[in-house]
Amino acid sequence: MSLQSSADVVVIGSGICGSLAAWRFATQGASVLILEAGPRLDRGRIVAAFRNSTRRGDWMSPYPPSPWAPHPIYKPKDNGYLVQAGPYPYPAEYIRAVGGTTWHWAAQAWRLLPNDLRIKSLYGVGVDWPMTYEELDPWYQEAEEIIGVAGAPNTGSPRSKPFPMEPVAEPWSMRRFRERLAPSYAVVANTVARNSRSYGGRPACVGNNSCQPICPVNAQYTGDNAADAAEAAGAKLVPNAVVYRIEHDAQGRIAAVHYYDPDKTSHRVTGKTFILAANGIESPKLLLLSASSKYPNGLANSSGMVGRHLMDHPSSSLTFYADEELWLGRGPQSPSSINTLRDGAFRSEHAPYRLDFTNISQVYSVTQYLIKEGVYGPEFEKQLRWRAARQVNVKNVLEVLPDPDNRITLSSEKDAMGIPKPEAHYSIGDYTRRAADVSKADFARIAELMGGTGLRYSADGQFANNQHITGTMGMGSDPATSVTDGYGRTHDHENLFICSTGVMPTAATMNSTLTAIALALRTVNHIQPAPAPTSSTTSAAREESHA
Amino acid sequence: MATNPPNDLTTRLYDPADPTRRRLLAGLLTAYTASLIPALAEPAPHADRGAFTALSAILVGRQALDSVQATHLYDALAVNNPYFAADVQALLGLIDRRHIDPMQLQSVLDAEHSPLAPLPRNIVGAWCLGIVGSGEAARCIAFETALNAVMVADVLKPPTYAYGVYGSWASKPV
Repeated sequence: MSLQSSADVVVIGSGICGSLAAWRFATQGASVLILEAGPRLDRGRIVAAFRNSTRRGDWMSPYPPSPWAPHPIYKPKDNGYLVQAGPYPYPAEYIRAVGGTTWHWAAQAWRLLPNDLRIKSLYGVGVDWPMTYEELDPWYQEAEEIIGVAGAPNTGSPRSKPFPMEPVAEPWSMRRFRERLAPSYAVVANTVARNSRSYGGRPACVGNNSCQPICPVNAQYTGDNAADAAEAAGAKLVPNAVVYRIEHDAQGRIAAVHYYDPDKTSHRVTGKTFILAANGIESPKLLLLSASSKYPNGLANSSGMVGRHLMDHPSSSLTFYADEELWLGRGPQSPSSINTLRDGAFRSEHAPYRLDFTNISQVYSVTQYLIKEGVYGPEFEKQLRWRAARQVNVKNVLEVLPDPDNRITLSSEKDAMGIPKPEAHYSIGDYTRRAADVSKADFARIAELMGGTGLRYSADGQFANNQHITGTMGMGSDPATSVTDGYGRTHDHENLFICSTGVMPTAATMNSTLTAIALALRTVNHIQPAPAPTSSTTSAAREESHA
Repeated sequence: MATNPPNDLTTRLYDPADPTRRRLLAGLLTAYTASLIPALAEPAPHADRGAFTALSAILVGRQALDSVQATHLYDALAVNNPYFAADVQALLGLIDRRHIDPMQLQSVLDAEHSPLAPLPRNIVGAWCLGIVGSGEAARCIAFETALNAVMVADVLKPPTYAYGVYGSWASKPV
């Protein structure tokens, strides 16, 4: 049996992009229906699940997948949901639930650099974006005002208006990095969606140091806040609604979407405008799943580019002991970084990168180390305190270029609902690997300036993933080489739009969420123009409206 | 959801001067092991659990251990190993007989391929991570009261607990 409903705007995915798009439509009077594959979550229960977790370094541990909407889990064993085709593993982590993956982000809310949008023209690599940074600036500003971003103006990304909030108070550990690395390196406050004062009805940070996997006090903006705002504005949100097909009409317009509830009863939802916002893996999966006789390669895929140009931010790192007590773990987890290597003429030769310092408490990892080493007796406590006070880490955040062979496809394996699983084809190219090699000199210099001992580099050729799923539905001016136009409208379907990090044509060096939100707000405005965001709306009014 | 641990956490759980919190161990220990944990060297009502507390104290290097937590950890560890009580007695006896320094214990057991080799890590993991077992069978028994949190409680709060008022982390750690 197929149950039917309808709305002006149908949004697939209730993450931060989909929910903010829904919120904006709803505030402008449209009827909005949000379909979310996963369940609703409760912040308090997530906190309890983390405290009771047996894997406290695994940010997915408090987020078990639902049977009907699985997401990738790798520990204690791989649940096999994201099939790995190789040659290099792509162990992406994301959350299928109301609010999406920002439940467990670090709230780094960065703008790109102007040159990030022109790397083909400037450096002969990658592609140019179908817009300029200046065109994005007001949408960045609006995104920052909606979610509440705290930052300093010295990160390299220009802006025409001040940040909504002052930078979050600098932890002692980061102060010491800043002081001791100067003038060789400028350590600056990260740009974060974390409150440095009460904002949007949410409190200032109180230093719980569990930003990943959960902020217990809602001091950092997460997608559930966006979903709540959308519902408060009148949007209807249906959880546990697993969209499995997008239906088009004879003209190629999208007519409806079909979803299963957990009992696998099928429902059909019609609408006028459709927003696909199910992240950079589930969205292309859904487009490919929706192949028809008219579109045998999947929807929005006349270019063959759906799922291609998968990007993320690989990282290599150095862990060492500073020569003074810094005690990481006081304050938020991701406070500071070095931004001076995000751009330069070298980009024609190797990837740019950001250097990021963690402020995650080292107690858990040091404890595991001491147990592994068999350190017992009074020496255990002595070493725990010594190491936890001094152990620090710096990592690079490397740009990956768009490569059509890095892609998401449909696996021959199916999930419990009978829906094909996504399959990742991934490799890390020489452009990125060369930058990892170059950055080792920075690591060494940083350790030297901090009086570092016990230097432990990550293994050559091995990279940690940062879960910044980018590309796969890239925007561009040429329908032959891109999936959407510069406003997120699919080239092939005039009423199907994509709001996702997946539309970003390149990944640059910065966490991708804020850019995706800015693009989503720009998309909504393109569909349903609102008053100019920077002239008639003050930050305070926006803050209040989203509380 | 509470985001502040009890103010008296450390004192309440680990005050060696509190006679009601001590394990009573006399009779289980010889001069050597008693010398490692003098504050615990008192009569034990239950030999198995007393031996566990004594061995735990030696391994984690503390003079006092919370009795309630000891019970929870013992029960959890015993579920995973039907010979747990005997293994504990055996390891305690081994340390006693051979005067093994705790820092040398693991290497001695590993070098001799002792069947007791996994025991110290299991016990220290239970006390210091609050986790018993591994892989899919792992269980969390303690978090805020795991010893790794307690040992740094003068400087850090366990993750998820508020450090303090906004900006309190900017000052030099004590």
